[in-house]
Amino acid sequence: MIVYLIIRCKFAPRLSMTKTFSIILFSFLSSNLFAQKDSSGEIKILNEIVVTSTRTENKLGNVAVPVSVINKKTINQAGSLRLKDILQEQAGLNLTNGFGAGIQMQGLSPDYTLLLLNGEPLVGRTAGVLDINRIGISNIKKIEIVKGPSSSLYGSEAMAGVVNIITEDSYKKSLETNIRYGFGNPDKGWIAPTDKEVFKNVDFNFNGSTVYKKTSLRFSSNSFYIDGISYRPYSTLRVPQPIWRLTNQFHLNHSFSSKTNLNLTVRHGYDYIKQELSVGNLGSISNSYGREANSDLNINPTLSHNFNNKIKSTLRLYKTQYNGSQKLSFTDKPDSIYDDEFRQNFLRAENQTDFNWKKNRLAIGAGYSADEANSTRYDNVKNKKNNTIISAFIQNEWMPFDKMTIIAGMRYDHNKLFAAAFSPKLAARYSINKKISFNASIGRGFKAPDFRQLYLNFTNNAAGGYSVFGSIDAVKIINQIQSLGQISEIKDDFYKLTALTPEYSTGINIGSTIAITKKMLFNFNFFRNDIEALIDVRQVATKANGAQIFSYINIKNAYTKGGEAELNWQLTKQLKVSSGYQYLLTADKDDIKNINSKKVYTRNNDGISRLLVKSEYVGLPNRSKHMANIKLSYENKHDFFATARLMYKSKWYVSDKDGNGLINTNDEAANSYTLINLSAGKKINKLISMNIGMDNMLNYQDATYLPNLQGRMIYVTANFKLK
Amino acid sequence: MKKKIITLVAVSAILFSACKKDSNIITPAGPGVNDYSVTVNGKIVTVRNLDADTIIGMGGQGPYGAGKYSFFSLASNSRVSNSDSATSNWDLAFGGTTIRVNCGTSGPGNGGAYVYTGLFDDLTSVSADSTFKTDNAPAYAITKGSGKGWYSYDGPNNIVTATPGRTLVIKTANGKYAKVEILNYYKGGTTPSISASDSIKTYDSRYYTFRYTYQADGSTTF
Repeated sequence: MIVYLIIRCKFAPRLSMTKTFSIILFSFLSSNLFAQKDSSGEIKILNEIVVTSTRTENKLGNVAVPVSVINKKTINQAGSLRLKDILQEQAGLNLTNGFGAGIQMQGLSPDYTLLLLNGEPLVGRTAGVLDINRIGISNIKKIEIVKGPSSSLYGSEAMAGVVNIITEDSYKKSLETNIRYGFGNPDKGWIAPTDKEVFKNVDFNFNGSTVYKKTSLRFSSNSFYIDGISYRPYSTLRVPQPIWRLTNQFHLNHSFSSKTNLNLTVRHGYDYIKQELSVGNLGSISNSYGREANSDLNINPTLSHNFNNKIKSTLRLYKTQYNGSQKLSFTDKPDSIYDDEFRQNFLRAENQTDFNWKKNRLAIGAGYSADEANSTRYDNVKNKKNNTIISAFIQNEWMPFDKMTIIAGMRYDHNKLFAAAFSPKLAARYSINKKISFNASIGRGFKAPDFRQLYLNFTNNAAGGYSVFGSIDAVKIINQIQSLGQISEIKDDFYKLTALTPEYSTGINIGSTIAITKKMLFNFNFFRNDIEALIDVRQVATKANGAQIFSYINIKNAYTKGGEAELNWQLTKQLKVSSGYQYLLTADKDDIKNINSKKVYTRNNDGISRLLVKSEYVGLPNRSKHMANIKLSYENKHDFFATARLMYKSKWYVSDKDGNGLINTNDEAANSYTLINLSAGKKINKLISMNIGMDNMLNYQDATYLPNLQGRMIYVTANFKLK
Repeated sequence: MKKKIITLVAVSAILFSACKKDSNIITPAGPGVNDYSVTVNGKIVTVRNLDADTIIGMGGQGPYGAGKYSFFSLASNSRVSNSDSATSNWDLAFGGTTIRVNCGTSGPGNGGAYVYTGLFDDLTSVSADSTFKTDNAPAYAITKGSGKGWYSYDGPNNIVTATPGRTLVIKTANGKYAKVEILNYYKGGTTPSISASDSIKTYDSRYYTFRYTYQADGSTTF
């Protein structure tokens, strides 16, 4: 089929418009795989321009906080289709399972990493997790990852850091398409693409852009299909779960003059996931089937004007809307309907004005946001919950002399629903010489309580009838139930129920970048995040029938600390090695207190209780102590590339097996594992390039703890650069 | 070769007798199923695989047993027949995660109990200000429910874990004192892993392994 396409498309430029488009429908588009060739053989990463760390353009080598950039070439060479694919190859990011794939950065849960699309927040989290499978990356220019609290610029959620996805905005005429076919079977290991039992993955892209006078337009479309799989609880029985994802994006840029520019981005994403689910509860398993459908809309006009070469002002408007819906019926009762709806609407208007004078770059911004949600998980699906946020920030970059940059910034967020948050940050960078520089930063991050924590009103009748109530209504609802005589017990934590406040963190990052040679760049960073007033789900009461009632309380304090290192080494003009490593330690501060005051027990192998020794304490669950990656990439003059990427994750503890309420070495852990991904590509002529690849070469699988990890998949991609 | 075997036999004989000296395995000690056993080792008695209304089927409300408790006498280190349930012959009764004491609504005895937070070995005597609770169904001296009495229940993974560092202080049917540590709730004394099948987690549950020291002289020291 692919060969057929190539033959057809070779003649595409000569075909009529309609025929060209019919071909486009069957093919797919790509990407400047070979555009960023670097013939000098030197490492030039530090010259990349980044915007996320300071909200102004800066060379990567000049920023004072840990930032990494994944560019288009890296993404394309890795054959990554979804944001998850490429982020799982980064040593400092751990992807979590559960409610999709979430980003765990510097040991903080997915709730605390802000995800931005062109600088504006993505919404639609489930249990705090924004599933990064939702985000297709065929049309993006680069991904910037900023580590450490960034609330001084971005407000809520930027506690661990920020991932900013920047879409392609090139202003030239182009027409590209590509198609990819992937296949595999986790049981068989090797399988022919035509076999009946094959798991398929088909991905299809079309990108086109044009320029007319001072206006440029860009359109891109992606459709993705995979024979997804999931597992029955406590079994290795696979259940097919086909997934369709569609993304369309439109980009417009118009220059009114050399000083005034208008940008408009509209993106729409749609996911459809067929589901066959099994839920185990109290030893009985209930099966259900149905579907999940989610859609995502982002509209982002921005108008920028340079008053002179010292003052630039940008007005940004943003609307995003997320609709998530799940409909299920129990297999044994087909007329039963479980309907779960969640809708979120977020609007923002913001101005940022940059002033450059002498040795200072000052950015001042202010904005107004309205956040609104309604859900079947709240009291009534028709009741819209809303919050408004008025925010202002100021940041100054001061370069007292050539080798030094000092950045001071702060942001104030006033919320209608809960306490205001103040987020300062201070960062400094000092270059000893051209080869060695040091960075240090300290900042405060916060995460505002989300609608779920405030308004959830959920009783799980399928699982013992337990209830979870958001903090705003919990006391009222429990008092009502009690007045009916249906509460058997009020817990101590009930009296701690008050208005939720934001969760806070204080993060310190200290690191260095060393150009060992022109061809070898090494950098490291040590971090520590102290997190206060973490919101935890606690049992606050028990119903007369024994069912538990939970709510949310700002109660936990924790820390994460560790180090990360990265080496980039251009071995020869063709061969490059890049490698990363992260070491991570975490703890719940109350756990440490309890261990020190000899209140925590565990058991010996013979089952006899004894005191827990402090060295047995592991910390927060679902965190790997060691994560590493190595990437080899080869590229030659003949437009050929090949990569081999290895990712390693050490074991992570998953549950409190010995029943002492915390995670220690006697508890259950998931096994460490290694993933190896391979890819190669060749530009055949001006029109066509081909890629092949193999993901998860070792066919590593773990049905219990990595249910979404596909087995080995082989793929072939054909790229056509029609213009 | 022959010499070696003789040596082996001799060594094992010594080992075996050494064991026998202070350890006395009583099997079966009263009616029991599977690998139920009672071992006496000095002051400490260990009971293994005491079935406690084990699962016989799955219903709409989840798995269920026959609804029969297993009765045990700490005084005689032995299981007691169910026909003696209305007598003072038993001290503890086990049914699922519920442990009854021979007192109040559970039986005619003078029993009572409370849960001590701390190690079995560290509990050397019953302090004078201790309050023994009695069974008053649906409330029990040994409080029912996850995290309240002797166990915690992990719902999503369907696993019951005996909380470490909990010692049950028991007043027996005849007013003597004993201390009890529940060691495990599953067959063979091993908790299944999270990834075990629900069938194993269900059908291997409700088998108690516990150890106790019974003070026959009526004093409060162990």
